[in-house]
This record gives sequence, C-alpha cells and structure tokens, in this order.
Amino acid sequence: MVVMVTESGVGMSIAERPGGNALAATCGSGEFANDEYRRPRDFRESLLLVLATLWLLDAVLQIQRCMFTPGSSGLSGMLNSMARGNPSWIAHTVTWNASMVYHQPVLTNTFFALIQFLIAFGIVSKRTRKPALALSIAWALGVWWFGEGLGELLSGGATPFRGSPGAVLFYALLAVLLWPSEGSDGPFVAARTVGLNAARIIWVAVWAVMALLAVAGSGRSPRVLHDLVAGMNSGQPGWLAAVDRCVESLFLHHASPLAISLAIVCFVVAIGVILPPALTRATLALAVVVFAIIWVATQNFGGILAGGATDPNSGPLVIVLALTYWPLTDTRGTSSAVASGPVVAATEADR
Amino acid sequence: MAMTPSWLYYLCGALMLVVAAYCLVSLVVELAAHRPSGWDIDLTHTFMGVSMAGQAVARWAFGPRVVWEVIFATLLIWFLARTVRSMQRYGPHLSHFMVHAAMSLAMLLMYWFPVQTVGTSPAGSMSLLTKASKLDPGLAFVLASIFLSSAMFTLASANKGRSHHGTHVPTYAMSGAARPGTSPRRAERGLIPAGGIPEFVGAPWLEDASHVVLCVLMAFLLFAMN
Repeated sequence: MVVMVTESGVGMSIAERPGGNALAATCGSGEFANDEYRRPRDFRESLLLVLATLWLLDAVLQIQRCMFTPGSSGLSGMLNSMARGNPSWIAHTVTWNASMVYHQPVLTNTFFALIQFLIAFGIVSKRTRKPALALSIAWALGVWWFGEGLGELLSGGATPFRGSPGAVLFYALLAVLLWPSEGSDGPFVAARTVGLNAARIIWVAVWAVMALLAVAGSGRSPRVLHDLVAGMNSGQPGWLAAVDRCVESLFLHHASPLAISLAIVCFVVAIGVILPPALTRATLALAVVVFAIIWVATQNFGGILAGGATDPNSGPLVIVLALTYWPLTDTRGTSSAVASGPVVAATEADR
Repeated sequence: MAMTPSWLYYLCGALMLVVAAYCLVSLVVELAAHRPSGWDIDLTHTFMGVSMAGQAVARWAFGPRVVWEVIFATLLIWFLARTVRSMQRYGPHLSHFMVHAAMSLAMLLMYWFPVQTVGTSPAGSMSLLTKASKLDPGLAFVLASIFLSSAMFTLASANKGRSHHGTHVPTYAMSGAARPGTSPRRAERGLIPAGGIPEFVGAPWLEDASHVVLCVLMAFLLFAMN
C-alpha cells in the first residue's frame, strides 16, 4: 500500500486499498453512475476545505459566552490589551475598536461571527469561493491591525513562539496561495496559483521574518518567554498546565538556545523549497513537527482550552501553509488518470 | 459573569428542533416508502436535535437523563459496529458512521458532565450555569474539530446525501439518475428530486444540511461546556 500526495489529493491508489476488489465490484454493479463520485478530491480543494474549517472554528469560538461580555473579561478587554507597547497612533486605532466593542458587545460580536460564518461557508461553494477568499483577506488584514495590534511587530514582543507575525496574517496568505486558478503545472499547490518564483519568494520571506522574530527584540529574553507561557497557564486543563510548567522552566534556563534553534529551523525551512524534492519534504516535515510542538507547548492551542480564544493561533495555519508547498508526485492531467485509472479498469472488467 | 444573549440559545434550540422535526418526517417517509436507507441516521439526528435543544434551553428539556444516556450509548455501539463492518467491507476509510459514533459520544459526554441550571429564567440555561464537573476541554476541542471538519467536507462533497447514506452504499443519493421517478437534471446536481413533498424531504442536499447544522451546533455546545 502506497500513500502518496498527488494533485488529486492525499490517498491510496484504489487498487492498492485493502478491500479494493470489493469497491471495484461495487463500482461494477452500477452504484457509481458518475466518474466524479469516485475521483479523489483535488489536493488544493482539500486544503481549501481545511481553511474553511478553520474559519468555521473561529466563527464558533466568536459566539462563546465571554465574547459578549463587556469589560476586561470580554472581547473588548482582550482587544485593549493588544494596544499595549504599540506606537500611539496604532494603539489609538486598536483602543478605538475596543471601545466600540465595549459599548456594543452583542452587536459587534454578532457581526464579527457572521462575517466568519460567511467566509467559511463561502469558501466551500465553488461559486462563492473567490468573493469569500477576497473577503477573508480584507477581514484578516483588518483584524491584524485593529484586533492584534499588528501582531506585536512594533511593540518588540513578537516571537513565533507566541504566533507572530500574527496568526490572522496566515489566513490572508493562505487565501492568496489557494486562490482558485488554472495555473500551469507546478511542483506544489502554491506554485500553481501564484507561479513558481513568486511562491518561493513568499515562502522564503515568511520564514526569514519568522527566523528574525525568533531572535530579535525580546524573542530571546528568558523572562519574556517564561511569562509568555505562564500567562497562558490559567484555566488550562491539568495535563496542559503540566506541559506549561515544563516549558516555563525550559525557557527560564535555556531561552537563548531555544530561540536560536528556532531561528535556525526557520532558516533551514526557508531554503527548503529550492532544494530537491526529497530534501524539500524533509524540511517541510520539520516545519510541521516543530510548529505542531509550538502550537501545543507555547501557544496552548491558541488558548481555546482555557476558553475565551478567538482563533487557534498560528500553529495549524503554518502547518497548512507547509502543505501548500508539499511536492506533488504527479503533474496535472496525469494524476487523475493515475488515481482513477484502476477503478475504471476494474469497472470495465466487471462488466 | 459572562453575559450570553439569550436569543442565541433560543436560536440554537429552535434550529435543533427544526432539524429533529425534519429528520422525524424523513424517517416516517422512508419507512412508509419501504426505503429504509439512512433510517438510523435520521433516528439519531432526531434524538440529538431534541436532546440538544434541551441542553441549550433548559425548560425545553424533558425525559429522565438515564433514558437519554441509554439511547446515546446504544447509538454509539451501533455506529461503532457499522464502522467496523464498513471497514471490513471497503478497507480503511473515513466512514460517516465514525462521525456519527463521535456525535453519539459527544451526546453522552453532555449528560455525563451535566451543566446545572441555577435559574429558571426563560433566558436559557447556559448563560446562568454552574458546572458540577467539567468535561476535559481537550476532548471537547477534538470532538468539535471533527464535527466542524465533517460539516465542511460534507457540504463540499460531490456525493450529495453522503451524511445519510455514506459513499459506498447503493443509493439514489449518489446517482440521482439511478432512482426511479427522479428528475435527472436536478438529481444530478443533488437538488430536489421530482415527486412532491415526500421526495423533497428525501432530497440529498437537505439531508446533508441537517447533518451540517447539527455538527456546527454540537461544536458550539461543546465549547459552551468549557
């Protein structure tokens, strides 16, 4: 059995599946009237659906109890805290937004949730996909500015351990990289949307920024990194609080080596896309593993388990981003033939 | 204290009751037409809709807790058995029975980690709740993620009706043209088959919509339990 990623999706060749004969027999009996039903989903389509699921998760998180609460324990308090450390003119825009939410928590929060439901369900339908993705870009940029205070880039507290340069920026980036298009054959999904060179430039830029943020500003400060995790500890389930205590201790004693290691990983991942496919896969797998660990250990699933989070933070989005650069084993046109060929053959044999 | 708008819970409760009513009608129509494919899903959705409406709005809850627990435990075992059977027949795949087993488990968890109403306000129960014991939020998050993914992938699927009939079961839902009395053009698109109200009730897109609504609302309730 061979698991492969083709342009047609992640999966096994039907003929290689256990029980493949049964499926072929099913096809042969006429249960599948249309080829469309047995063709594996396009890999870009699958990634788009994952993106839509993340938007739906955000929408559901937006209608949690605490989001409708005015004051420091509600959304307005959360937004206010994002102004801290920013230049005054940016801080002013953030507090202006927070004050609107403070005065009309139900109205504003309902509006925020509706927008996110609209984006999520819009991405699913092919007819509304482009407007939904365009809306998601505009919304993400707005939230990055007014809701996340530019991801703390200007306050000096930005570090990928916390989700910088801003989880919401990755939503916008994924919308661009997964934009529906009939681009020429490329070695990975993102290249088929924006072109090979542009995709590589975007990738290198993103990871270079993350490498820089890992060691710049207060990114290497033991106290800052310790407090980052300690601040998330409250309200977490016991098992995650235990993980947090280990990570706090690690940061307190080994902050600089950990930050520098993360910067090196980001640098290696950045150049990974210009290496041969086997090495590219290795560097992408490294990115996925490292950001899965960061998502759990330092981002605490975006604080969702403690309640009061509006998104899962950058961890899962970086992982989806890495998958948009995963080398495809086949090129457009031949992959669907590879995936559906055995089924068709079996169906015809059954007749 | 958190201030939840009561209308939100009334809206959720009402949506759940609408889904329950639809699935009950669908079940009756299917049985009357001797077309029992998907009956277990309709029955499950009916129970879930009624039960979750009671979770969202306390005064809409009825029946002893233990009865609901027995119902959802039975459904959990049923869907686990169907998952195993489906895997034996078709090999490893993400069966929709698996999702329904997870939904049955989520319902059980909602009863095992009950939320107690401290007020009898018609403004709904969950905004005025204290918790006797707490469901592990990690488990709630995993289940909610499964349901939200199921909602999105069901909506996008070319196999309309898969949430009720799966991808391997011989059913009109997967190829409308194969079903007698079905308008081929509309059935191909998974829209309303010809033939009046009974056919409308059995429209694959409507079956999927009921599943999607339940998935989203169940995720919402799981987060509300945190």
